[in-house]
Amino acid sequence: MQIRVKCKCGEGSCHEWAIVELQGVVEVQSPFQDRLQNLEIGTLCRPSTQEAYTFTIGYHELTGSKVPLKKPLLVLKKIIHPDASVDQSSESNPKAKAEMELQVVGIIRHRILFKTRPKALISKPSI
Amino acid sequence: MEQPQPGCRGAEALLHLSSGSSISVAYHPLFGPHDDLVLFELDEKLLPDFLHERVVLRGQPDEDAVLCTQSKTYAIKFVGTSNSVLLAPPKELDPYCNPQESTNKNDDLKLIASVIKVVPGSMELVEVAPRLDKLRLLLLEKPYRLGEEEGEGNSENYEEHRTGLYNWNDLINNIQASDDELRSGLLALSAVEINGYWRIVDESYMSMILNMLLNNSVLNDWSLNALNEDQVVSMLESDGFAGVLARHCLHVYCQKKDDGMDSCVWKLDERRVCVHFAREILKRGKMKLENFMDEWRRKIPDGMQPTFDLVEGEVLTERIGVETWVYAFSVSSLPSTPAERFSILFRERSKWEWKDLQPYIRDLCVPGLSSEGLLLKYTRRTQPTPDAEPIFSAR
Repeated sequence: MQIRVKCKCGEGSCHEWAIVELQGVVEVQSPFQDRLQNLEIGTLCRPSTQEAYTFTIGYHELTGSKVPLKKPLLVLKKIIHPDASVDQSSESNPKAKAEMELQVVGIIRHRILFKTRPKALISKPSI
Repeated sequence: MEQPQPGCRGAEALLHLSSGSSISVAYHPLFGPHDDLVLFELDEKLLPDFLHERVVLRGQPDEDAVLCTQSKTYAIKFVGTSNSVLLAPPKELDPYCNPQESTNKNDDLKLIASVIKVVPGSMELVEVAPRLDKLRLLLLEKPYRLGEEEGEGNSENYEEHRTGLYNWNDLINNIQASDDELRSGLLALSAVEINGYWRIVDESYMSMILNMLLNNSVLNDWSLNALNEDQVVSMLESDGFAGVLARHCLHVYCQKKDDGMDSCVWKLDERRVCVHFAREILKRGKMKLENFMDEWRRKIPDGMQPTFDLVEGEVLTERIGVETWVYAFSVSSLPSTPAERFSILFRERSKWEWKDLQPYIRDLCVPGLSSEGLLLKYTRRTQPTPDAEPIFSAR
């Protein structure tokens, strides 16, 4: 079988997606474990004109930088077309299942990478 | 529960954050595993092929899928990561991003970039040799034989008639190779498209056609170095062979001469014709070298010089006592993956001299591995004295 790779980006203008990469795992507090949607992970801040960033998650602060990827990453989406070829011409295999294609939906050329261990922030005094 | 996020800005905002500002990174209203989103890491040079829809994944459900461009085949390898890779889509592709929000006067509104999934890793592409061994097996299911033309009408059942026959679409659905590689694979097997199906013509049938061609060349006093295609085809057709087979015979045993004339002129290819007759003779089994050479010389057309190096990769010699015997051992019947190839070669004989071995491995191609590399990996090289011929044995 064949899976075609489709692309609707047009000439060289794929939407750019972004990656924020950090070591380890972001742990969610147990009350929120089942409802992550819309939950804030942290705040990304660019303090100066350099490509240096901080990422504050809870009481932890990460420092990192925006780095170009050595090789671009394409974002592909699997799309399954329901079988529409049951009673079509002899060309189609009667046993053929639903047809799948991969669609290029974006490209990633940079990531904001935090490769250091987090620094603990001292909690603000409560007022 | 899933509400549009005010202030959402998507990937652009992350990538183009102005200095001195900040953005909130949050889980997307549709955050989840999203297994339908996959990342492919590619060489910049492959990018145009993806953007212009010139790539396709090929493979049966039980095979590891490969990715094919027009001319090359790549294995697909999943490379996982233990980092947390948070993926944020651009706002244009995000139904939860409302463009009107951007005109909101509320300057205090916090900007948000949403993470749609945590990516477990990405796919990498590694160039590989096309997997063409299956092509031969498929085409040998039903070789084109003498008398097939007459038999065609009898088969009422279409499905039954179709079994073992493969058209181009069937082949690209079954063979893990790029279009170009598949075409050269078909050429190497001397396959021909007959009535829409790619076929290998049975050897004895091809032999009949070639003999007819040679006999007629003598009768009509044609030069074997300048065979006129139209004449040859119409002669073979009048002898009852289909035109497509007549032309196939020219493609298999001759070379096209570019004379710039209206009709095509072909030159009989000495090597291919000599190999053909050698194979035909050795079909009966092992024979003494002298007997083989006698019969070979007798069978091939006048003017051709049969020398033993013409059948490199087709015929092996073996010393039994004082006599030399020969037998058929064709490189084209061997698998194309190096491990399987060497295993069969060393089963055939445990020690190989370089001059014997070379014709059986020179067609092996593994991207990124030279022929010296192949030898190092799969053979043990011994050289009793510095000026002796090296001997290769299994590792």
